[in-house]
Amino acid sequence: MKQQIQAIQAELLKNKHSSILWATFVAFGLAPVIGAVFILIIKDADALAKAGSLAMKAKAMNFEANWKSYLGLLNQALAVGGVLVFGFVASWVFGREYSDGTAKDLLSLPTSRTKILNAKFSIYILWCLALVVSNLLLGFVIGSMLHLPAQETDIVFPLLSNYFITAFMTILLGYPIALFAIWGKGYLTPLGFVALTLVFSQIIAATGYGTYFPWSIPGLYSGAGGEYKKLLNDVSYTLVVLTGISGYLATLGYWKVADQTK
Amino acid sequence: MTQMEMKKDIIQTELLTKKFGETTASDKISIHVKEGEIYGFLGLNGAGKTSLIRMLLGMIKPDNGTIRLFGKKLSTQFDQWNDIGYLVETPCSYPNLTVKENLSVYYKLRQLSDPHLMDEIIEKLKLTNYWDKKAKVLSLGNQQRLGLAKALMHKPKLLLLDEPINGLDPEGIVEVRELLKQLATNGSTIFLSSHILGEISKVANRIGIIHQGKLVKELTINELHDQLIKKLIVNTNNNESALKELLNHNYKAVLTAEHELEITNSEAISKPELISGLLAEKTYPPKKVFLYTEDLELFFLRTIKDRTP
Repeated sequence: MKQQIQAIQAELLKNKHSSILWATFVAFGLAPVIGAVFILIIKDADALAKAGSLAMKAKAMNFEANWKSYLGLLNQALAVGGVLVFGFVASWVFGREYSDGTAKDLLSLPTSRTKILNAKFSIYILWCLALVVSNLLLGFVIGSMLHLPAQETDIVFPLLSNYFITAFMTILLGYPIALFAIWGKGYLTPLGFVALTLVFSQIIAATGYGTYFPWSIPGLYSGAGGEYKKLLNDVSYTLVVLTGISGYLATLGYWKVADQTK
Repeated sequence: MTQMEMKKDIIQTELLTKKFGETTASDKISIHVKEGEIYGFLGLNGAGKTSLIRMLLGMIKPDNGTIRLFGKKLSTQFDQWNDIGYLVETPCSYPNLTVKENLSVYYKLRQLSDPHLMDEIIEKLKLTNYWDKKAKVLSLGNQQRLGLAKALMHKPKLLLLDEPINGLDPEGIVEVRELLKQLATNGSTIFLSSHILGEISKVANRIGIIHQGKLVKELTINELHDQLIKKLIVNTNNNESALKELLNHNYKAVLTAEHELEITNSEAISKPELISGLLAEKTYPPKKVFLYTEDLELFFLRTIKDRTP
């Protein structure tokens, strides 16, 4: 356990001065800000008339100036933006060792390769959870500042529960990206994979098979694709979990057995 | 049996073979490196040096053959990684971390428990002025020093160094050479690769030459010096007549394209004064007597040329 903790400390140290870290928080933090703009537009009849496309978008989403709408928006942003931003985080955490040329220095150490990868997965989870929580906190601050009407807890708690379930699924879907990073030896291949999953998740969801395509599932669950959540079944959720588990195991297996020539 | 021969093998490879597609990176390489020995592994770029070092570090799995380090078979169960320090190819570090933070990463991953080890190696490799500088601003030479610091920090018993003097200035080269000699004197075993025989010959006890994945020659430094071509170059006022005299006295002599006398007898090479005396006596006093010793690089190129199919 001590070895694992030290491996995690080493990973934390590696990201100490990372500008990417702050870039992901800024990118992910756009969602609560956009939600705030929607609220301001909706609350102000003059602004609503002048805001054009933003107002149309808010109307199309049936957006209302209340906590239910606002948290729903954050949830949808998490499902879609999470695939992108969490994918970026995973690409960076696992691919940077090859881009920096330091991967070879991690392979013949007393800390096993499995522990080093586990430390990286831990950092990935912590980083993503920090993004998830920070968006929620930012949302609460903004919502309070905009004086959103107080909501009953029996409405807010299910919304929060949905938010964290979406986060859990989106984080799990980032696991296979680690495999693409160490197989592609850098962060271009995993970023390409992230782009493909985003495109396919939209196309497949539009064709009606999104319930069986793991990367479409968080979006459907969050309500980003309309009221499709009820179409999701046990198979859908199992597919998400299996994708995460197989991504994790494949990454460990590949790093242990593949020839490391870079 | 010499004292070195009595020591135990730290590195043992038997018929180590590795192919990447059609390219044979390692062709039945068997090497034994003794404790305290500095073994220089020499080859052109792409000869297979780095592949062998990566195999010794368990980064690449051989197709055939075995590796033993400290007498233990190299496998996923191998547990002596803290007895090994290594530097493979270009030294790389985390660009946004300082020198000390970079070392801290490996301090943690090596499970070390003496913080003085970092200060000690920073001082030894003259990185003290750079310890709080980010790695990305270091010169190539200081990057190399940082790479060496990572390899040496934990005081390993075996060092595997791939081109350790790359990028170092002359002062740095001398420092690293002395450091390696000192480590070997203290019992560390060093396996270093290079494509510069001249440099390796200054530090290694034994040299292995690899070409196209094959170990084409293995020799000690003394054997290396014995195998270098040596000849006596002589110039007189009448080289044709002087040649006849030399041949009459059973010397192996020829007239070169530069119209100089070239004598290859070991006796003449060890005692050039005999040639001077003979030629002076026969009224062909030498205007020039020069002992030519083959350049190490030429020896290396000759060795691999002899083995090129």
